[in-house]
This record gives sequence, C-alpha cells and structure tokens, in this order.
Amino acid sequence: MTKLEAIIQSSRFESVKNALLEIGVSGMTVSEVRGHGRQKGHTEVYRGHEYTVDLLPKHKIEIVLPNNLVEPAVQAIIKAAKTGKIGDGKIFLSKVDEAIRIRNEEHGEAAL
Amino acid sequence: MEFPPNTTATESLKTWANGYAAEMTAIRQAFEATGDGLTAVRRRAELVDQVVTGLYADILSVPLHEPANFCLVAVGGYGRQELFPYSDVDLLFLSHSKRIEENQRGPVAALARTLWDLGLRVGNTSRTLTECGELHRDNLEFSVALLDSRYLAGDTQMFTLLRREIVPHLVARDRQVFVQDLLTITRQRYAKYGQTIFHLEPNLKEAPGGLRDFQVARWLTLIQELEKSGQWISAETRWSPETCAEAQPALQFLSAARCFLHFGQGRDDNHLTYEFQQEVADLGLRLQVGHPTPAAHWMRRYFRHARGIGRLLSQVREEVESSRSSLYSLFLDWRSRLSNTDFSVLRGRVFPRQTAPATEWPLVLGLFERVARHGLELSREAERWVAASLEAGALPRLDLAAAWPPLRQILLLPHAAQALRAMHQLELLPCLFPAFRAIDSLVIRDFYHRYTVDEHTFMAIQHLHALGQKPVRPASPAAEAQDENWEDSFAEIFRALEQPELLFLAVLFHDVGKGLASSNHIQAGLEAVEQATAGLALALEDRATVHFLIASHLEMFATLQRRDIFDPETVRAFAEKAATPERLKMLCLLTYADVRAVNPEALTPWKAEMLWRLYAATLNHLHRHLDDQRLQAAEAGKESPALLSVLPWDATPQRMMEFLDGLPKRYLATHSWEVIGRHFEMFRQLGQNPVQARLHGQKRDWHLTVITWDRPFLFASVTGSLTAWGMNILKADAFANRAGVVVDTFRFVDLHGTLELNPSEVERFQKFLEDVLQGSASFEPLLAGRLNHHRPPRAKLEVPPYVGFDDHSSSHSTLLEVVAEDRPGLLYRVSTELARLNCNIEVALVNTEGEKALDVFYLTVNGRKLGTALQEGIRHRLEKVLAPHNP
Repeated sequence: MTKLEAIIQSSRFESVKNALLEIGVSGMTVSEVRGHGRQKGHTEVYRGHEYTVDLLPKHKIEIVLPNNLVEPAVQAIIKAAKTGKIGDGKIFLSKVDEAIRIRNEEHGEAAL
Repeated sequence: MEFPPNTTATESLKTWANGYAAEMTAIRQAFEATGDGLTAVRRRAELVDQVVTGLYADILSVPLHEPANFCLVAVGGYGRQELFPYSDVDLLFLSHSKRIEENQRGPVAALARTLWDLGLRVGNTSRTLTECGELHRDNLEFSVALLDSRYLAGDTQMFTLLRREIVPHLVARDRQVFVQDLLTITRQRYAKYGQTIFHLEPNLKEAPGGLRDFQVARWLTLIQELEKSGQWISAETRWSPETCAEAQPALQFLSAARCFLHFGQGRDDNHLTYEFQQEVADLGLRLQVGHPTPAAHWMRRYFRHARGIGRLLSQVREEVESSRSSLYSLFLDWRSRLSNTDFSVLRGRVFPRQTAPATEWPLVLGLFERVARHGLELSREAERWVAASLEAGALPRLDLAAAWPPLRQILLLPHAAQALRAMHQLELLPCLFPAFRAIDSLVIRDFYHRYTVDEHTFMAIQHLHALGQKPVRPASPAAEAQDENWEDSFAEIFRALEQPELLFLAVLFHDVGKGLASSNHIQAGLEAVEQATAGLALALEDRATVHFLIASHLEMFATLQRRDIFDPETVRAFAEKAATPERLKMLCLLTYADVRAVNPEALTPWKAEMLWRLYAATLNHLHRHLDDQRLQAAEAGKESPALLSVLPWDATPQRMMEFLDGLPKRYLATHSWEVIGRHFEMFRQLGQNPVQARLHGQKRDWHLTVITWDRPFLFASVTGSLTAWGMNILKADAFANRAGVVVDTFRFVDLHGTLELNPSEVERFQKFLEDVLQGSASFEPLLAGRLNHHRPPRAKLEVPPYVGFDDHSSSHSTLLEVVAEDRPGLLYRVSTELARLNCNIEVALVNTEGEKALDVFYLTVNGRKLGTALQEGIRHRLEKVLAPHNP
C-alpha cells in the first residue's frame, strides 16, 4: 500500500476529485492548506496597507492506495491539476505498513 | 412478569432477561401499531419497576418495604415514568445515615451489577437524607432529578420525609440559586446548539425546543409551586389551557419520535438524522392521517411542535422571573428608558400598552423595532396582541411602501435577526412578503447546511450585524490574515457600506426561492424580490442592486472555489460582474454571511482569507483599471432602450452618445439612467452657460454635480469652493468624456446646516461656484478664514498617511493612491498640489470611510504618464499635506 499526498491548486480540486473518482478512487482526505514552493509570494496594496501574499492557499489530498492504483492515480492527478505554470503543486508517495478499518477491524488492502 | 422462585442466580437472571426482552418486544409492537410514545415510555418504566423491585427483594433478602431507614427511589426520567426504550435507569439509594449507607454498599452494588447484566444502563447514586437536602451546584442534575423522585422499595417513611420535608425545604431555602443555575445550564445548552430550534438534523432531547425544554418548564413550575405551597403538583395543572393545548401534542409528538429513534437504533441516540426523518415520515408517525408523507412536511410538523415547546419554556421563564420581582424593581422597569409611549419593557420583555388590537401598521412594526433595537424578547401578551391584531381585521390594507421605512429601520438595527424571527413566527413576515411562507421551517437536505432555510436567512443577518458591532481596530490586512482575525477585515467592509439596508434586503430574500416551485431557486427568488421591491417602492437603481446581489449570491464563493483568484484574468472577469465597488462590498458581505450561516464551521479561516483576497484584488482592479474601460459611442448605443426612455423629445440618440462617448464604463454602472438623463440635460445647456452646477439634498446630506469643459485647477476649485462654504466632502467621482467635458459628482456633509436652514443659500452657492469656475470670483479668502479657524477634533483611530503610485494598471495614466486621516479641506489641498505640479486629473475616485480618506487619481502630464522625478515630487509635497499635525 502507498500513501499519496498531493498539494494542488485549489481551483483544480474539483477536477482532480472527479478524475480520481473516475479511476475508482472514492475515499480521500482533503485539507485546506497554505504554503509555497518555488512559487514565491508577491506584495499587494489594499487601502494604503502593503501586505505580502507569501503563503498561498492550496488543497492537500491524502489517499492510501493499493499498489496497482498508485500510477493511475498519479497520472489522473497530473492530468487534472496541470496548467503548466509555477504553483501547480506536487505529489508525494510513501509506503504504508498497515491499514485497519475501525468498524470491523479488517486489515490490509481490504481495509482501504 | 414475576420473579421466579427457587432458581439459581444464573437461571433467575436468564429468566429475568428473557422476560424483560419479551415485554420490551410487546411494548415496541404496541408502539409501532399506535405511534403512542408516551404510553410506550410509561410501560417501560412499569416494566423496569417490576424488575428493579423484584431484584431488590431478592438481593437484599427483605420484604419490599424494608429495611428501615433505607429506600430505593426512581429519579429523573425513570422517576416521572417517562423511560424511553434505551434511556438510563436512574436510581437513588437513600439512607438515613452514612453508617446505613455503608452497610448497604454490598447489596446496592449487587443490584446495580445485576441490572447491568440484564442489559439495563443504570445510573445509581447513594445519598443520605441530609445530602439530599443540600443544593449541589456542582451537580445540579442530582438536585433536579429529585424533583422527579418516585418511591420504589424500602422504608416508605424515609421517602415521605424526602418528599414532604427535605426537597421542599431545599427549594424554599435555595430557590433563587436553584432557578438561576437551572436557567444558566439551559442557556449553556442553547448556546451549544447555536440558540436555535431549526436544526436540519435536530437532537430531540437536548436541542432547543426538545424534550429537555419541556422538562425544564415542568421543573421551573414545580419549584415555584413547592416554594409557594410546599405541594407536589403536576406542572401541567398550573399551565393555562391554551398553553397545555400547544404543549401536550408537542410532548406526544417528540416522545413518539424519540421512541422511534431508540427502537430504530437500539441505543440512546436522539439525533434525528435525514435517514430517520425519511423513515419516520414514511410511517406518517404522529400525523393524524397516519400515512406516508414527504420528510420535509413531517419536519415542518416537528419544528412547529418544537417551537411550541420553546414558547412554553419562554412563558414559564417569564412567569418565574416576574414572580421574583420586587415592587421597586417593577417600578424601575416601568421607568426603564427602553419603554416608550406604545410599549413598556419589563425584565427584558416588551409589552404593548394597549390591549385592543392595533389599527395601524406602524404600531405593529414599532413593537419589532423595540426588539431589533434592544434585543428584547416578546412577552406572551405581545405575541397575543400581534396575533389578535392580524386576525381582528382592524388593520388597514397593507401598504408595503408605507411599511418600508419602519421595516428598513428594523433591518438596520443590531438585533434585526431576533425581530425578524419573531415576525416570522407570528406570521407577520409572511403577511408582508408571502414568499416567506414557503420557506417556513423548510428542510433542504445537503451535507453542509445545518439549519432550515428561514433560520439560515436570519442567521446570515445576525452574522452581518455582529460585524457591525465589532470595535474599530487599526489592523493591517496582512496581520489579520496571519492572525486569522479575519472578521475585522469584513467588519471594515461592513462599516463602509453606503446603503446597508439593500444588503439586508438581499439577504432576507436570497434563499426564498428554495421554497417556491421552481427548479432554479435563484430565479424564483428574483421573481419574489421583484414583487417585493416594487411594492416597497424602492428606487430603480436600488431594486437593481438587490436584484444583482440575489442573482450573484453564489458567484463569489464559486469563483474562489473553482478559479485561480491570483490569476488577473479571474479578477478582471469577476470585477466586470461586480461593476462597482459598492456592489462588490455588498456581494462580498452577502457571501460571507451566507457561508457563515451554513454551519458554525463552514467559513474556515482559510476560506475567509480567500474570500477577502478575492474582494481586495477585485476592489483594486475596479479602482485601477477605470481608465482603459471607456464607453465607445457604438457601445453606449447598446443601452438604447434605457437610453431612449430618458431622452428628451428634442434630443437625438446621437447627441446622447456624444455625451457618453469616452466616459469610463463605471459611469453607467454607478448612475441610474434617470440621473444620466439629468446629466445629459446639463450637458445640452453648456452652450448657454459653460458651467453647469446642480445641488440637491436634504438635511446634512447633499450632492453636487458639475458639468463643464475641462481646464487646469477645475477639480481643486470645486473642492476649494465646497470647503470654503464649510462642506465636508465624503465621496467624489471625476470623469471626462472624449470631447473634454467633465462630469464631476460630489457627495458632502453640510457641517453647519447652512443649506438646510437657509434654502436661499442653495442658489447662492450654485451661483458662487459658477462664478469661481468662470474666473469671476475667488473662493480663497473665504477658504483661508475657514481653514485658519478650523481645528479638527483628534481622530479616534490613527490613520497613517500613504501615498502610492502605480504605472502599470492604466495604459496611459499614472495612478496615485492616497490614504489619510480625513479632515475638512484635505481633498482641496491634495488636488491643489496636483494642479500646481501641472497634473491633469483624468479620473478621480474619492471616498471616505469613517475617519479614513481613500482617494485614487488617474494623472497625466501633457497627455502622458508621470515620470519618476515628478512622482517623487508629488510624494514629497503630499506627505507634508497629509501629515497628521498639518491641519
């Protein structure tokens, strides 16, 4: 099993969610986050106050996948989230040792 | 069910368990056949009585009424014989002394354990009589549970002592604290549920209007009676027949629903989820027809009953509080500053002074104005008076236009939501706007909304007023975003609104379409609001604003969710929809309030920040991209139907287009065609008089329009003339068309009432201004005297001066943004400095919010953008002018 974490543009979230649903990924955890990578912020002025937009709003998606779904999920996210501009986001993959469904204590991929 | 003799403990336990299960099955079947929840809970209490008393005699090895000085008491819901299928069985083991309590510890533990083994959830407590006579403020539930005590087994005299002396003495001694604490925990419970009955998935027991409220009403009545007479009475016998007629069916209804939930889930879960709403509606539970019904219809019944229970509690509270009044406090209340000639206020409740039904609408609306102004509750008398007034037929036919001023006042007052809820509950709001009947207690299911459509609306209004109540804080947006004190940012927008009543009206109607028969709730809502605003006789431009807000109320949130709000194209497109800063402000606040009212967690700090950033970026766009968005003659012609409607009979559309050609598009968005028609008429008269000035207004609020040919020092001369006459400019727009005709509009405050008190001065000022602009008079001597003698009061809020330039937003102008503490003459000084440096003001957007002046100028020199050196020169001079110590 693999844990997939994707940081994406908030405006692409609906597309990414639909793309994942289409390949059979139905469960996911979504958070509203702020951050930046190479896409640095900029300075704005509002009513005489200068402020820096440095931590930009993003959506973070976390999914634990059976190994056979990892590559399709990665491709689905890239296809749906890519605009080609700086700030499109990143995908992180890491191994997961175990998963347990609390309701019936199923283990392993059956619990996903 | 009888206790089986001569059996082993295990066998007897099994027998009891089987017997209990069989009886519970019978109770359930009877309930499912009749839907009679109260009978079911009484039967379960009787069943548990049999089990408990049987085991008591068995485990203690004594006859039922022994031993002496010890007894077993049912308390709480079990005590009052309202034991829901999976509710806890609350038992009190009452001892005469600690020694006896200690002696009985073993049997008590064994009895409790056995009951648990039978599957009953037992809440058991051991107390001495003395302990029962103390008010346990840290465990008020125990003292309250004693009010529902019922003898089960043991020493009957002990129980008699408890009922005849111990509890009545406790109440007589600690009544005030007892009631106060009971009301405090009730208030805390209400706060936990957002102070509202109208949850889409309510908790039948704990939510406002739930069964707990019914019990609190009973307890308060009982406490009152125990203090007065020492008698244990049924609370219902002290309630009026009218109250009982409303409360008893409500108790039946909610009890049945709660039984249904317990049986359905097999546990003590009182959360009426969508799934159970569907099931209960499919059964037609507690509906007279007893047939399947839509879930929304069944829930409306639920809310009607919950409202009845809420009203019962409110009424009992009112009686309890009034019985505590001393003559002196009554006198104080009577003389309270909140009372007026039509209504008196007693202990936070408003009463009508006249008992006869009202014969005029302002009087009825005046009652709710008191509520909206002071956050008062309606007394029962006031509710009856409103109902009687609406039914008696003594009121004249409703004239909405006449009702608008008091209704507008209600909307603007800080407790408007409370007043509107009361108006809605008493059928007054649907009487004014029939569309409201359709959203009464309306449940629309989704994963996000927590309240009914009507309650969501009132909550949105409440959230907006909460912004208005926030203190003014000198905070920068950046700090707010980081600290997540984003409410301050929205409060600042709220305070800057020019016509907040239009926003409130839009909020009031934004979801009424959900109750109307239409697949598109926005379209249905627009039709409803069109009727309403026409009836209210709002000005056409105000109707258009309300229409825009309702039509667009989902767009801002959709934009920040589905578009990249940092993309200039997203901002440009959104700015085009908003069209004016004022509409943008209202749309932002409508979005804020709408999302916040979905549920307490819906507007996360993250979303609030996104919303604010989209607002700020759009506002900046609207201020900074005016110059490039100008009307073309052909484009202006697109407005021909409206244009023709204001075109004088002797003018051609081409002449009108000549006037409009080259004006910023904002001009069309910020002025109604009626006003544009007046400007056009002034434009046509430029041939007779090259300076056209029109002044109109009332009291302190005045408007000046100047239409003339552009020239150096023009804007400075107008602002100088206004300042010289003691006028404080709040807002100004300066536009010019392609031919060089300027259309300058000013809104100002007549600080000294000169124009209001001396009507002839209006004409004299217009003449003075025309002379100044034609060079035949000077405002400077008058201005010098005015400025020398004027010492502005110290500002409540420090506004650090800001001078900023932007060379990128406009293709052919340099933008100058000025923010400073407002003071009379400020705009004159700034515009004069600009004129002295040969700057031409292509466009000016002048605004004042509280004590803050916010001005944007589009500047050119000889038709070109300003060079860096000139920008620095302007900055240097303006920083001197704007310095707080420079009056």
